[in-house]
Amino acid sequence: MKKHTYTVINTPIHNIDGIAKITGRAEYTFDITLPRMLHGKILRSPYPHGEIIHIDTSKAERLKGVKAVLTGKDTLGRKQGIWRRFKELCDEEILARDKVRYIGEPVATVAAVDEDTAEEALDLIEVEYNALPGAFEPLEAIKEGAPQLHEHAERNINVTRHIEWGDVDEGFKKADYVREDWFRCSSQAHVCMETHCAVADYTPEGKLTVYTSTQSHYYIKVLLAEILGLRENDVRVISRYTGGGFGSKFELDSAQFCCSILSMKLCQPVKIVLTREEEFSATKRRTPMFYYIRSGVKKDGAFLAKEARVFTEGGAYTAMGATALYLTGFFQSFPYVWPSYRYDGYRVYTNTAPTSAMRGFGAPQATFCAETQIDLIADELGIDPIDIRRKNAMYPGYEVPGQATIQSCGLGQCLDKIDDWIKSRGKLPPNRGIGVSAYGFMSGGIFNWFDTPYAFSSAVLQINIDGKVDLFVGSQDMGQGSNTTMAMICAEELGVKVEDIRLHMGDTETCPVDLGAWGSRETLMQGNAVKMAASKAKQQILEFATAKLAPNIVYDLDIKDGWIHLIARPERGLSFYDVVKEAIRGKDGQPIIARGHYTPHRKGMISPAYSFGVQAIEADVNPDTGKITLKNCVTAHDCGQVINPLGVEGQLEGAIAMAAGYGFTEDLPMDEGKILNPNLVDYMLLRATEMPETKVMEVETYEPEGPFGAKEAGEGLTNPTAGALGNAVFHATGISIKNLPITPEKVLNALKEKKNK
Amino acid sequence: MKKKLVHLTVNEEYHELYISPRKLLVEILRDELDLTGTKRGCSTGSCGACTILLDGAAVKSCSVLAVQVDGAKVTTVEGLADGAGLTPLQLSFLDHGAFQCGFCTSGMLMSATAFLNEDPVSEDIKKGIQGNICRCTGYNSILRAIRAVAEGKYEDEGR
Amino acid sequence: MIHNFNYHRATTVQESLSLLEKFKEDYKIICGGQSLLILMRQGLVAPENLVDIKSVKEMSYIDYDPKKGLKIGAATTHREIEKSPEIKKNYPVLVEMEENLASVQTRNWGTIGGNLAHGDPASDPAPILIAMTATVKLANTNGERSLLLEDFFVDIFETALEEGELLIEIQVPVPLKKSAVAYEKFNIIKNHQGIVSVAASITMAEDGIGCKDARIVLGAAAATPLRAGEAEQMLIGKKIDTKLLASVGKKASEECDPVSDIHATETYRRALVKALTIKIMKKAWEQAKTSGRVGGKHT
Repeated sequence: MKKHTYTVINTPIHNIDGIAKITGRAEYTFDITLPRMLHGKILRSPYPHGEIIHIDTSKAERLKGVKAVLTGKDTLGRKQGIWRRFKELCDEEILARDKVRYIGEPVATVAAVDEDTAEEALDLIEVEYNALPGAFEPLEAIKEGAPQLHEHAERNINVTRHIEWGDVDEGFKKADYVREDWFRCSSQAHVCMETHCAVADYTPEGKLTVYTSTQSHYYIKVLLAEILGLRENDVRVISRYTGGGFGSKFELDSAQFCCSILSMKLCQPVKIVLTREEEFSATKRRTPMFYYIRSGVKKDGAFLAKEARVFTEGGAYTAMGATALYLTGFFQSFPYVWPSYRYDGYRVYTNTAPTSAMRGFGAPQATFCAETQIDLIADELGIDPIDIRRKNAMYPGYEVPGQATIQSCGLGQCLDKIDDWIKSRGKLPPNRGIGVSAYGFMSGGIFNWFDTPYAFSSAVLQINIDGKVDLFVGSQDMGQGSNTTMAMICAEELGVKVEDIRLHMGDTETCPVDLGAWGSRETLMQGNAVKMAASKAKQQILEFATAKLAPNIVYDLDIKDGWIHLIARPERGLSFYDVVKEAIRGKDGQPIIARGHYTPHRKGMISPAYSFGVQAIEADVNPDTGKITLKNCVTAHDCGQVINPLGVEGQLEGAIAMAAGYGFTEDLPMDEGKILNPNLVDYMLLRATEMPETKVMEVETYEPEGPFGAKEAGEGLTNPTAGALGNAVFHATGISIKNLPITPEKVLNALKEKKNK
Repeated sequence: MKKKLVHLTVNEEYHELYISPRKLLVEILRDELDLTGTKRGCSTGSCGACTILLDGAAVKSCSVLAVQVDGAKVTTVEGLADGAGLTPLQLSFLDHGAFQCGFCTSGMLMSATAFLNEDPVSEDIKKGIQGNICRCTGYNSILRAIRAVAEGKYEDEGR
Repeated sequence: MIHNFNYHRATTVQESLSLLEKFKEDYKIICGGQSLLILMRQGLVAPENLVDIKSVKEMSYIDYDPKKGLKIGAATTHREIEKSPEIKKNYPVLVEMEENLASVQTRNWGTIGGNLAHGDPASDPAPILIAMTATVKLANTNGERSLLLEDFFVDIFETALEEGELLIEIQVPVPLKKSAVAYEKFNIIKNHQGIVSVAASITMAEDGIGCKDARIVLGAAAATPLRAGEAEQMLIGKKIDTKLLASVGKKASEECDPVSDIHATETYRRALVKALTIKIMKKAWEQAKTSGRVGGKHT
């Protein structure tokens, strides 16, 4: 691996939005107030399945302070969805007209002078429903004769996916040991601290401006234009600060849609902020999955064949669930070499809140099941958990047949580091165990179901007379720190300081298109676009500098830290700032402008690059209560070249908290489609007191496809934790829980069962 | 409902406000005084995003009626430092990357400030921010940031 | 949305009681309001009149007398109890309980009286105070009455407080010699409400071998904080050993009457009662043998 020396990359840089955030000055959508602004609320279905017979809004309209009450009848009646290339997958109206399919589905919306009046008006809207029997569990809903949600989907089958390579049947024949298991992976709520919210401002000129908390202003702009019948560029979406996303904020949501139609009706700004309860019960969530896995291996632990079938609880609409269905199937084989693999996935419509994208996007579920089973296999064969993983680990240059090519891959080194750490722990006290899980993830998706005609990422850069660089990006910072990452990539490539960059983002009117902050895209894709723009701008400056310095033609020039110089003779150079001044004068007073873009071509089916890692969790299990206490969480992680160590560390630790929650405390239990814990009292998020000691060991690789060799560094870390936790419980007690979350009650029951055997 | 006169000193500025008794303190701070640095993340008093200092003690401003605190001294995130200055704790948050999306940060800073003003014992830091939810960071960077201040690493800092 | 109400601030006990008397038909008392405001925001509680006793200074105090015991004014905040040197010295287990009650913010504003008057079977202080044989002082315009705290809880979210009556003081007797109180709350997230909790007190006989008196109080294991009377009886007059404690734990788990909800099934709650009772009794027993104080050494 070539060693690179950088001036900006790989130094811990303060988040460029930091001062705004720590002084309370960062203005989130939640904080926006416009002149004459009204407040909106949404009436939601109390039924999981039913026909809307009649809606009477007259009483609500008569309430003092109410400005408008709208229902599905007041919309164009267009169905929308983010899988725009497939019409039947665009199945959600947002404001239901004829039928409701989940508890919480919007049926009417109100604008009033204040929130209390709007809320009061909701109580005055009379909706007559004809309740229908519901289908709630995917394994039930898929049966012949189950209540059907959508006319087009027989047996409620929404999407199916098949992945296959190698000769699976032959592989099983050769296997010395075959094991099959069923798993149930639970749901999870994103719980962004800023709930979904939007302020829409429609003016008589026919222009709609929407301020919103989102992960993709571009998607929201396009989806809004389509459903509202507006031209794409008559819609402007602004999103400067987003209070968390985690996959919940790149589809069109009810706040954005409802305040837009209200504002269009009234020509007045309307704000809608979802309550925490609405956020829990009526926004999208992680996909619950029922997994069947059968694996065949040799006596020595070599993997031969794997067969996986999954039934996912889709909820009422497609949302991003179709992507999760593909990714869970692909990552079920990860990060190992399986000579043969067969996957069949079924996404099933159910009368529950739609399931969709959430950090990890189907991979945490797959990884939990796969890694749990691998430990059971290793245990059965008497092989060390690290050894069995090492034996079958992916490696640089490996091709996943028909799917992907792995370029950089530090999985082997990660396994070594974790192995060393485990050994350093020595003999553990009773009822304590260490579990490991290996994982990998994509660095941005290649798929284009959205059908964008634009490059996946674009950047525009302008260098001004004082050397200050205006960088326009389409990427969305929702807290993951992409603004800082982009400023760093730009500064490094251009040879200036991070302070020289003035970053512009979060506004469709001024920023170029980027598909948004999901699927771990930004560092690699937006990063490449920024790097290209910076590189082109640099080229222009170097042309002027060359004329000035007149070096021998064999010499190359570069810029580092604001100093333009001959690479071979660094002392011979010029100030970047002086050259910029003259260059602009020489361009007839025009600032230096450059564009960059990135779209993956011929990079397989999934992603241009993959991150890898191994995590170990040390946990105690109380044999009397079943309670699990996390002690240590150690991760060896390969995210290519680290751009901002401060950012990477934060991403990794944050992922651990969220993923550990998925593993043992978070769940969305339901009764006939009703979520039973839609609040932060009953939905159990880890707090500071539950966090284990965390340690991160970077394994640096160089990813040829990434900017400066970088790849994904935050989402993939959501994948291993549930599996590592489950395996820690297994090694502490000998019981293996295959049903998430691993609650103390489940552990205690399993311990009792084991004792009774 | 009759409005009530309430006297509040917020960030050392004195206010006389006629308010509806059902208004929560957080609503007065955000909607009447435009101090939108204080956030709200739930309606059950669970998340701590609305934490402020009430006569020096950390309190959830969503769990207090504004009329109840007539005469009190309130400090919000906007009142932590003067002008362009930053407190040692704020600097430490920057250095340790102790925030991501930033939505919980104001509340977190207020809880941590109260903790540091009281009796900073390193091992109790977790308890000091136990009432604040952060969905982004996993808390450990926040704990490191507070610990650094508690251990006096920022004694001569602050600007 | 909080519904409209008439707001009345009282600054003395007398003023509070007059207001309660006046609005007999429809009032709610607010002190810290840490539980009440949540219910009001959900529209579950919508009183016509809200009587605010947060500013009643004479109800905010901690008095300890080595002969008479501890008196806590009902409007004393949790945080004041947690930080009281007197309580830390004489009733350390109360401090331990407070440290694990909700969040710092809630403890800073929420009060002990408000907590008890809320009547929540999962109340943190209730089991431990009952184990300490605490009494509560209630007052109305006609006078005062005292009640054992265990009799104060009538049903889920229902207390013995009558119309016009105010909880004004909590009294805890002086700890007996050779006695100890221990407590544990089981939850998944520290400081969350307990899935169950167990408080136990043990008083050893003069000889230091036999058990003279015992109290086992269960939280969140029935409609009210519950004394496991039969389990207690199994101990009195007996020499305690681990075998006996195991059957005491089993008895307590049979005596309680927990619900199934999203956090735990009834069966699991019973299992927890058993495990916690054994553990807590053992702790109290060991401390009682060596200590003359309630709670023994602060652990």
